[in-house]
Amino acid sequence: MRFGTVAKSVFTCICIAGVGVGYVWQKNQIYRLGDEIKKRESVLLAAEKRNTMLASQLAQLKSPSFLETRCQQYNLGLVSPRENQVMRLYEPGPEWDTKFTPAALQPQPGKSANKVVAQR
Amino acid sequence: MTAMTQKTRAFIVVVGLSLGFSVLGFRLFDLHVLQHKELAAQALANREQVVHRQGRRGEIRDINGNLLANSQSVRIVTADPSITGPQAQTIAQKLAPLLKMDEATLVAKLSGEGRYVRLKTKVDEDTAQQIRALRLKGVLFEDQFLRSYPNGILASHVLGFVDSEHKGVQGIESSMEQYLQGIAGYEVIERDRKGREIRALRDEEIGPRDGYSVVLTIDQVIQHIAETELDKAMVLNKPQAGVIIVSRPKTAEILAMSCRPAFDLNNPGAAPGDARRNRCISDVAEPGSVFKIVACSGALNEGIVNLNDQFDCENGAFLYAGRILHDAHPYGVLSVEEILFHSSNIGAAKVGLRMGPAHLYDYITRFGFGRKTGIALPGEVSGIAHPLSRWSKLSITRIPMGHEIAVTPLQMIMALNAVANGGRLMKPLIVKSVVDQDGHTILQYQPQQVAQCIFPRASILMTTALRKVVTPEGTAPRAAVEGYDVAGKTGTAQKIENGQYVRKYYSSFIGYLPASDPEISILVSLDDPEGAAYYGGSVAGPVFRAVAEKTAQYLSIPPQITDPKKVANLS
Repeated sequence: MRFGTVAKSVFTCICIAGVGVGYVWQKNQIYRLGDEIKKRESVLLAAEKRNTMLASQLAQLKSPSFLETRCQQYNLGLVSPRENQVMRLYEPGPEWDTKFTPAALQPQPGKSANKVVAQR
Repeated sequence: MTAMTQKTRAFIVVVGLSLGFSVLGFRLFDLHVLQHKELAAQALANREQVVHRQGRRGEIRDINGNLLANSQSVRIVTADPSITGPQAQTIAQKLAPLLKMDEATLVAKLSGEGRYVRLKTKVDEDTAQQIRALRLKGVLFEDQFLRSYPNGILASHVLGFVDSEHKGVQGIESSMEQYLQGIAGYEVIERDRKGREIRALRDEEIGPRDGYSVVLTIDQVIQHIAETELDKAMVLNKPQAGVIIVSRPKTAEILAMSCRPAFDLNNPGAAPGDARRNRCISDVAEPGSVFKIVACSGALNEGIVNLNDQFDCENGAFLYAGRILHDAHPYGVLSVEEILFHSSNIGAAKVGLRMGPAHLYDYITRFGFGRKTGIALPGEVSGIAHPLSRWSKLSITRIPMGHEIAVTPLQMIMALNAVANGGRLMKPLIVKSVVDQDGHTILQYQPQQVAQCIFPRASILMTTALRKVVTPEGTAPRAAVEGYDVAGKTGTAQKIENGQYVRKYYSSFIGYLPASDPEISILVSLDDPEGAAYYGGSVAGPVFRAVAEKTAQYLSIPPQITDPKKVANLS
């Protein structure tokens, strides 16, 4: 009888203590996760900032004026071909197949070609 | 006695304790109930803080998605001199190389009066991290957005720039402000004893929304071509100013719009106000002979003249209303076609006379002169097209050759586009779309027809005549583009200073190619070129050719006049 009362009391105390510890642990977890979220948010923000900075740098590196300057600096000899340096070829296809296409439908010299495929 | 004393003492203690607890109880009641509202608000204010977050301003991109402007997060490095003062020398030694500042200046700032001083603005994130790693007491950071233009001077008049408040003040930055600006958000946070945010207690959180991105019809490669050629022309001809506009006649999309003088977008304050003006839309001038396009188109459209109709050009001197009108070269009898490609003023005046003022004025308004084109750029002006009631007797002979009327370069190229585009006058398009951060299109701008100025038949006749302008017989053989069928018109307009014509000129050339199915149209105008050559054909013509050649190649526009030996057939 006496042991039972003591056991009940101890059990009740353990339960109350457990609830208390659990509450504190949970609170601790919430704060810890909050800190974790905060750190991740900072990392994300920093990454976004870095991303915009790099996007701007990339745009600068890809700009026509920068590429032109670099080509000149390195003497790469990269220039656009002049019109008389371009050889225009007609794309082969069913409509251009000489076997099946009437002569009138075949591409004529002097008419516009539809794609630049080679240059010399 | 003793018992009484004990009872009395006990009573006193009880009463004392009761009174004490009553006072405490009342105080508690006072604090928790009577003053609850005020004190709770005060406690909340001490604990909580509302942090506002500015949304990032949207980007500006070209038609191919190349970045033209964006906003970068940078830092302002500040200091509290009351903390940094005693160690100013040491801190300055460490900061000077990182901030690229003079050590003495830093010492003066760090040991100054007050509790807040700005050491440097626009400090990039990497430098800020290096400074933070030094753990300097009293050195703090603030966030700042910096508008960055990776291409510097490119398309400066189109893009515009922002003020210190990050609001657009010119160009697209101003006209598209409502889409570009971000929407601010806020967070209600609580801080700990050290001032750090307790993330778990964040109460409200409304995130900022970044601004939308604006996609232009400008192509940065074509813009670069136009600006490079304009720079060359500025060196060669030394004009006061120059403009080049490249557009698509069928849709009126502006592919390039460049002006000189220009300015660096990353430092607009360094340039004078004059250099920041977009001359393509805000400067008006008499167009000169390029305006003959309007008079002749109208006359052909009305059937008043045909290309083969003959006019006596009076050997270069035509007396009308008591004033003599001259041609640059004396001509006898010319057809309408010849009037156009020889650019005869007398011929154009006679075409105007045959049309009559009412018809001529009708076509001036049909082609959109005297009113804004409606381009999405601020600062556009209407130009000057006087109403019929204000015309003098001479006007009918002067307006067909581009005098007594003032137009903007944009109005002129839109009129040419109408001629090239079967008579359809289009509204100029410079913004293609507005997209959100995920790339979803919010707004899409479509080509918009404003009017049908002339019938397609008249447009074809005009193209036939304008093709000859770039032949050896015409006024601009130097504007001819190898392999391409070009139609265009020269213009050499005398400038007016203090109400008098002076020996200064606007030299211009406008044209399109391929003439039979136009893909691009280009306007080149140079204000007061130096040297003996000032005619549009010899000054602006070669610039047109250079821009047209490179643009056609870049856009893979197939040439029309091909060497048969060079065309191979794989089949």
